[in-house]
Amino acid sequence: MSERARSAGADLGEHSAAGRWILALAIGLGLFGGARAARAEATTACEFLEISAKTGDKPAIDAELKPVEKKLKKPPFSTWNQFKLLSSSKRPLAKKKVESIPLKVGSATVTLVEIVDKSKVRLTVTMDDDKGKHVADNTTTVEAGDYVIFVHPLGNNDGHLLSLTCR
Amino acid sequence: MSEKRKTAPLPTGGKAQADLELMEHADGEHDDAELTARLERDPDARAKVAAVRQLGELVRGHLELSADAVHDAKFAAMWRRIDDQIVAPTGLWGRVTAWLERHRGHVVTGTVSAGVVAALALVLRPGAPDGGTRGIGYGAVDVRPVAMRAAPEIDSLDTPGGSSTVINFDDEDGHTTVIWVTPADTVEGI
Repeated sequence: MSERARSAGADLGEHSAAGRWILALAIGLGLFGGARAARAEATTACEFLEISAKTGDKPAIDAELKPVEKKLKKPPFSTWNQFKLLSSSKRPLAKKKVESIPLKVGSATVTLVEIVDKSKVRLTVTMDDDKGKHVADNTTTVEAGDYVIFVHPLGNNDGHLLSLTCR
Repeated sequence: MSEKRKTAPLPTGGKAQADLELMEHADGEHDDAELTARLERDPDARAKVAAVRQLGELVRGHLELSADAVHDAKFAAMWRRIDDQIVAPTGLWGRVTAWLERHRGHVVTGTVSAGVVAALALVLRPGAPDGGTRGIGYGAVDVRPVAMRAAPEIDSLDTPGGSSTVINFDDEDGHTTVIWVTPADTVEGI
């Protein structure tokens, strides 16, 4: 091979190692930066069950309420014996971002205030009734997997329940 | 040479056939006991074989000398053409693409390695100050065993136009906090 060709090959060989590492570093930093950005927007996911509670001749609980069925058979929910799922939704929550929860009766919002000790979520929940009247404004710190259930008795002795759990 | 002999019209007669066999013997293509015996007893046949071999040597030697003569000039020209073709591309983009073309395997290896390192760094990274928030894609927050969970804490509760009662109970699924909001008109009714 000629001197010029050999020289060109040697130059490329010297540059290839450095170039390879620069490229790998750039890609790595890009991926890591992207991952960090995604992590900065990290959220929790909460599941909401809107339940109608009534008293009837025969006990009845919707099959979709299986996750909370045992709870609904205990006091204070044993005031009623018929429970019907009105709506359910699962929402990812970002920090400090108010999320509207679609309800059949009234309206509700939830805000993830922060995550505490890796396993707890601090949530602010607001509820309005079907007339737009403010019912509750609550901030609770709860472990992932545990439940918070809001109960709003209605005038006809029925109940309007909103159950939430986060993971 | 033997191919040419096969395609050319074969000479007729026993002498011609015998000479053909001698030529084949000289080329190493025909060797049997009868021919060997004939060569031993026939000096004329041996002379023919030797002549054919000498002629073959002369032809081969000439061809090799011709090839040697071609070698230097031809290969010098080939190297010149190769040199012309491997002149480094001009321009930054040209050099980058040429480098990528030659080192595609290294780029792929580097990319995969960097991705693995980034993934490991992400997984093994210590928790964030707020307690290591993990989003949906990361399995969200840690769900601890029921026995290790702390009771819920009501940080604030406001029930405008009514009263509230907080009830806590535990079961095998963990803690449940019930926030019972009683509207004021109901209270008044009672």
